[in-house]
Amino acid sequence: MLPRTRFEAEVLPHLNAGYNLARWLARDVHDADDVVQEACVRALRYIDSLRPGSARSWFLTIVRHAYYDWCKANRPAELVHDAQDLLETMADPMATVDAEPSALPKADACTLAEAVNSLSLPLREALVLRELEELSYKEIAHIQGVPIGTVMSRLARARASLQGRSRQIKICRESASGRV
Amino acid sequence: MNCNTAIERLSPYVDGELHGLRRILLVRHMRTCVLCAARMEELQRLRSRLRSELPRHRASAQLQVRVQSLIASSSSAGAPNRAAPRRPAPRWPWLAAGAIAGSAATLATLLVFNLVVSRIAAQDVVSEAVADHVQATLSQRLIEVASSDQHTVKPWFSARLDYSPPVQDLASEGFALVGGRLETLHGERVATLVYRHRLHMIDVFVRPLPAAAAKEPRSLRGFNVAHASGGGMDFLAVSDVNADVLGAFVARLAAGSSAR
Repeated sequence: MLPRTRFEAEVLPHLNAGYNLARWLARDVHDADDVVQEACVRALRYIDSLRPGSARSWFLTIVRHAYYDWCKANRPAELVHDAQDLLETMADPMATVDAEPSALPKADACTLAEAVNSLSLPLREALVLRELEELSYKEIAHIQGVPIGTVMSRLARARASLQGRSRQIKICRESASGRV
Repeated sequence: MNCNTAIERLSPYVDGELHGLRRILLVRHMRTCVLCAARMEELQRLRSRLRSELPRHRASAQLQVRVQSLIASSSSAGAPNRAAPRRPAPRWPWLAAGAIAGSAATLATLLVFNLVVSRIAAQDVVSEAVADHVQATLSQRLIEVASSDQHTVKPWFSARLDYSPPVQDLASEGFALVGGRLETLHGERVATLVYRHRLHMIDVFVRPLPAAAAKEPRSLRGFNVAHASGGGMDFLAVSDVNADVLGAFVARLAAGSSAR
């Protein structure tokens, strides 16, 4: 089968999933477009490495790599969290369930989406893959290239951090609706 | 189990990723610890809020056009090159030439290989579909969205899949729609429509074309399997109903959805 035929048949159905991930990672419409386009270039090039039935997580992995490469060039600061996260989780995967300051959403996050957007990159990524793409821990571990224990810890920390903010979000929403 | 351990395990528990003894111990702990039970409920609430409130972003028409032009510009030999609108890839003419020569030589082999692979894949899908049907029947988990109303079932799928399967109720023809659920075939999530025909339950797995599936009616472990396609979708029906009836039914479904 031709690469483009395979791409159209197996990868294209997951374009929206790939875009959703890119958009949550990049937090910007145009950057997400560029990342997905680059991911498609790579997917076409490496289509031979796609095993049947795994197109979704295969493409999501490529989107993620494309984003990280894009980040290195455009937003290196974004990747600093990753190194921190890695050190913490390598030391003790389950010891960091309490939200540490770096994982706390910004105080001006008024909606749940904004709170998610202010999570650090690895936490945001794990959360989106779990809650929106409904992937298993094993699949997320594969995509993020970390042990399952790290995925578990990232999700727990992301949620603890969002819960910590949910009261504030509620207050925020009430005052916003009061204004209208 | 103490509360600290329980708190650590709540998150994997609500994800369905806590197994065996750890799960049993946590459930037992929550029966006696009101605080942890409340924590678990709070976590569940957060999860359902995340799922309902977070936007699922979709590729814009503009991006789709960009991707389409990428596909169009990928050469038939397979080295996607040049005309990516905003990101020109490096040109490797020697590679493209080599790839064309190589692909001509191996094309015949590849064709045969693909035929064999797709036949094996088709058998896999059929046996997976039958296994799904059996498991769902045994565990009484046949239906995740119970409704005979196609306008309820269709949006339920649309919200959970990246395609929207055609949903028809053929009650007047003896096949009543009773609901639907999600199944996994070949690692992909697939819309599964559940129909009742007299005392029999029928599962119809609906996937976007193309899908490598068996074309001929066949049976496996006493269940009949029938296949048809139409309206850009692939329909795979599994049931203990008579093979002829099942074949006619799935053909009727496919014809009905391509007529729309």
